[in-house]
This record gives sequence, structure tokens and C-alpha cells, in this order.
Amino acid sequence: MSTNDDLELNAFVDAELSPDQQAEMLESMRSDPELARRACELGQLKAQVRLAYATPPQPRRRSAAKVRGSWQVIAAGFALAVFGLISGWLLHANAPGLSTGGGRFVVLDPDGRGQAAAVAESEETRIVFHLTNPDQTVAGELLDEVEGMLAAYQADGRPLRIEVVGHSEGLDLLRERLSQHGERIHRLAQQYANLTFVACRNTMDRLKVEQGIEVKLIPDAEVIDSGVSHVVKRQQQGWSYIRV
Amino acid sequence: MSESKGMLFAKFGRHRKLRGLICAERERLYRIAWSWCHDSYQADDLAQETIARALAKIDSLREEGRLQVWLTQILANLYRDQFRRVQPETGLESDTLPTLDDPEQNTDRSQLITRTRAAIDRLKDDQRQVLTLVDIAEFSYADTAAILSVPVGTVMSRLSRARARMREILEQQGIGRAEVIALRKPR
Repeated sequence: MSTNDDLELNAFVDAELSPDQQAEMLESMRSDPELARRACELGQLKAQVRLAYATPPQPRRRSAAKVRGSWQVIAAGFALAVFGLISGWLLHANAPGLSTGGGRFVVLDPDGRGQAAAVAESEETRIVFHLTNPDQTVAGELLDEVEGMLAAYQADGRPLRIEVVGHSEGLDLLRERLSQHGERIHRLAQQYANLTFVACRNTMDRLKVEQGIEVKLIPDAEVIDSGVSHVVKRQQQGWSYIRV
Repeated sequence: MSESKGMLFAKFGRHRKLRGLICAERERLYRIAWSWCHDSYQADDLAQETIARALAKIDSLREEGRLQVWLTQILANLYRDQFRRVQPETGLESDTLPTLDDPEQNTDRSQLITRTRAAIDRLKDDQRQVLTLVDIAEFSYADTAAILSVPVGTVMSRLSRARARMREILEQQGIGRAEVIALRKPR
């Protein structure tokens, strides 16, 4: 495709020719207007490319939650592990035996009083399910639980809001390729406006950085910056927290 | 262990200086990375990771004068090994290159920038890398060849093809030859 002529002309424009070659090229241009026009065009293109990248857009998110390197992912993972341990410990220490009835999931409210706050009459019950388990069977049981609650509350006319946060390996539930429950999630999300599925951006970024995976989510998932910060925020807002 | 105290001090002094120089290259690395992937988030990670790796193997830099080449080499390796564009599954991830109908983009200058970026986006990865290393980062052919671990001849042919392709794409987009220079065309 590229003739020697082309290569040389490009080298001329990029100031890669020796002074002798340069002089020769300038001489040729004087007698060959077409050659001069092509050189000029290449020079313009070069300037145009430089202009186009003089000020590239800056990263969109620079919040504290943004993952900036793998060490932060590790730190976040560690924080989560500690968080999980503490939650579990608090639960056993302060609220033994409390559960939503399914046996697998355990409720912990910010005061450590267990379910009491969550089921207070007349107030809206708000529960955040924090899914970190990749097991699709567990995810299925979670959906059973969620659907049961939604139906029961709806039948009783009691207000309820549920968020399911897919985080770490639990993100799999919300990944288009991996989720075995995409259709069910879609149906539930259509049926219940008070149910939200949330995906952790940090986890997605980590998959991209560490494994080069461009995560595609199911259409019903919303994205938040950090799963951990989100569930902590929900707890501060008085939501009941259930780790799955 | 065999290093004398004096040598150690000299080494630490050099390291401190180099660390400063390396960190100062961040913006430049980001610009190059962004021109390759057109994704600000990914470019930011690439620049960050390049600096982290450079700091970790600071001793392997032999000539300080080659710092930019050395860093860009790390960036290119990283891009090749981990970040090379997988066709994104959704358009959400990479920065959406604004369309020409966007009112905010409606000045001649920004239209030109938008069109140029869109054209570069359509180049093959290896052509885009050579073009941006030479034109944006202003590396010589020899340095570009070293950064990408290819012969200089390959750099020259890729560059020539990349520019020919750019011209084709820009012409398809309606930027005729005469218009290419019209940075401030009155309208």
C-alpha cells in the first residue's frame, strides 16, 4: 500500500529526514506542486491530530469511592471482610436467633436490635440485601425471599422497599452472561416499583482491571460507585441490613 | 548488601529525584492512554498503573534521558497485556464521542476535534498507537519503534497507512481536502 514515496513524505513531515534528504525533498517540491500539496496535507493532518488531543476529557468520577489501583480493591475487600466479621459478631452477640424466617438470611439493624425496627407497624420497612455470594442457588433463594416479602407486604397494604446490592462475587447475579435469574429479576422489577437491583461499580472496575472483563449488566440493574459505602449509608439511614 | 553507605545514599537520592520525575509524567501518560482507548476511566487506570509499575522497578531505568520512552513502553505493554480494547459489550463504558448534532459541540473547532477523534477511533489498534505516539506524544520513529517493540520500518509503514486511512475517513465524514485547515471557518 505505502510506496517509498509515501514513507519519505511522511518522514519529511515528521522531521525524520537527514538535512540532505530534506533539502532534496524541498527541491523536488519546488518542481512538483502535487508533491508539495500532499506534504502540506500531511502536515495539516498532523496538526489536526495534535489539536484533537490537546485537552482530553478528564476521568468522570473522582469520588473517594473510585478505585484507583488494585491495592484499593484489596483494601476495600479487606474492609468488607472486617465489616462482615463485625456484623456477624454483633449479630451473634446482640441479636441471637433473629432471622427473616428463611433461616439463611439474618437481619441486623443499626442499633443491633434485630428485626424489631424493620417490622414496626405503619412505617415503611426498608431492607437492603447485600449479596456477595456467587452461588446462583443462593441468589435464587434470595429472590424467593424477596418475592415472598414483596407479595406479603403488598397483600397487607404495608409499605416496603427492598434493595438488592450485587457486590464482589455477588455481582454475578446482575451480570448478563452469568445470571441465571435475569428474566425473573426483570419480571420482579416490572411488577414491583419498590424493588431495586444495584450493582457495585468498584467490583466492575476490579474485574476490568484485573481480568480485562467488560462487565455487561442485566438491564434492570442500577449502578452505584461502591457496594460497601452504599450498604453502610443505607444502614445509617435506618435500613435493615441483610448479608447474603 | 555489598553496597557502601555512600552508594546507598546516592541511590536513594537518585530514586527520590526519579520518583518526582515519574509522577510528573502522569498527565502525559493519561493523554496517550486516552488517545488509545478513548475511555477516561480506563486511561486513568492505565496511567496510574504505569506509574505504580515504574516506581516498583525504578532500578531498571538506565538512562534518565530515556524516562519518557521507558514509561511509555511500560504503558504500551500494559495496554497490550491487559487493557487492549475488548469490544465493549455496551456503549456505556467508553466515552461517548459526541455527535455533530450536539449543540455544545457546535463550534467549528470542536467539530473538527470531534471528527478527528472519531476518525482515530476507527483506526486499527496498531495504526492508532503509532499515529498518536508520533503526532501527539511527539516521539521519534526510533523511540516509537522501541516503545512498541517493532522495527522502525514497521512504524513508518503503519504511520503512512494510518494517515492515508485518516484522510479517507475524514473525507467520508465530509471534511473535504480544502476544509481540513479551516480551523476558524466563518459561518
